[in-house]
Amino acid sequence: MKKKIISSLLIGSVVLLNAGDFNAQAEKDRKELQKYFETKFADRKNASKFFPYSTKEELDKNFKWGIKGDEFRLGSYAFNKTGRSQYEEIKEMPPYEDAIDEGKELYEKTKFKNGKSFKECFPDPAIAGDYPKFIKGKGVITLTGAINKCLKDNGEKTWKQTKGKMAKLEAYFAATSQEKGKKVNIKIDSKEAAEAYARGKKEYYSQRGYLKLSCASCHVQGAGQRVRNEYMSPLLGQTTHFPVYRLKWEGLGTLERRLKGCNKDQGENPHKPGSKWMNELAYFMAYMSNGMPVDGPDVRK
Amino acid sequence: MKKIILTLMAVSFTFATANLVEEASKLDVKKVCDVKANGAKKVLDVAKKYNPEAIKLGIEFKRLGIRNKEYIKYTDKAIKLKKKETVIKYLDKKKKEKTKKFPTNYAAWRACTFAVRALQQKKEAEKTWRLAVPGDGYKY
Repeated sequence: MKKKIISSLLIGSVVLLNAGDFNAQAEKDRKELQKYFETKFADRKNASKFFPYSTKEELDKNFKWGIKGDEFRLGSYAFNKTGRSQYEEIKEMPPYEDAIDEGKELYEKTKFKNGKSFKECFPDPAIAGDYPKFIKGKGVITLTGAINKCLKDNGEKTWKQTKGKMAKLEAYFAATSQEKGKKVNIKIDSKEAAEAYARGKKEYYSQRGYLKLSCASCHVQGAGQRVRNEYMSPLLGQTTHFPVYRLKWEGLGTLERRLKGCNKDQGENPHKPGSKWMNELAYFMAYMSNGMPVDGPDVRK
Repeated sequence: MKKIILTLMAVSFTFATANLVEEASKLDVKKVCDVKANGAKKVLDVAKKYNPEAIKLGIEFKRLGIRNKEYIKYTDKAIKLKKKETVIKYLDKKKKEKTKKFPTNYAAWRACTFAVRALQQKKEAEKTWRLAVPGDGYKY
């Protein structure tokens, strides 16, 4: 009997140990990324090393230094003083408020033909920080993917994954998550999930398109540098605030919409929202923000 | 049996893909895409050979809203009709049909360099991607 208990305990602890191990690399990557950004934006002294193209005046006057952890969820407004003041003015009357209300209505009042509703698929709407998820045998599923799966499973037509109703329902989920103080909580709990994460990471750092840019060219090494008059945002915290109302779009869009745009800007025929490539990229990106507060919906230029 | 066939198909697909990426990575893009030296038709043939592989791998280039397969399609037509100008039809982001005109030699060069470079970059990225990862190859 004693022997049986010991061996069961041993097996159990091996299983537990392995479950904890699957995210070991991702956890190391996340900590290293945070360390990099905190060093990069630590103080004015090291600035010329990280921002070789910025003028002295720009670094003296327009940069905020000493940025830590969760502050990076504000994107470039974490360090860009001018951008931050414009952002705060816009936030006094956020352009996405109506979208949250419409999203709430979609959640509470949409009745599927079979009599069911979104409430059956998502009993708790405060789930924005839990996606993307890895589902065994199915791969990575983003929040837009989960919403469309809910529609499909109930015999309904799926929605466009970039804007419209999808972005509004996600805005409600994000706002509810933010109200409840939810944090980004991405799980990597199997070998397959770790492999999906690793593929997403590799794609993020691979140069692509006729401009030969990787995502990291702009949002890791390039974060804080300017393209024309806009500062590029850091990868850390980048997925926390979606969906976003972009002034360029004059409307609300999902993370997939933004990723498609970035992919096009690299000079490549963009991957489709919902594709394995895009889902795994989003999985990696979201893991990098693990533990940060859900901050969406938000506004960006 | 079905499993074996599927496995064989997957293996042969991987092998063929690796082969073309490998082959393209050994090309001197300036030489093979030189229209003056090789003529527009030969240069476009290079694009026709490698671009389908770029599409399969999800790395096809796109510029000014035009996919490389569209550069290839309309440049091919222009060469067959011996036209000095290639008129490319494509859909913009609102799915409206648009046209753009390019000298045929230029369009052939672009199609060729885009097709070859896409595969070359794929191969290069295998070695370089980790150099950008903080805590791994990227030192600061």
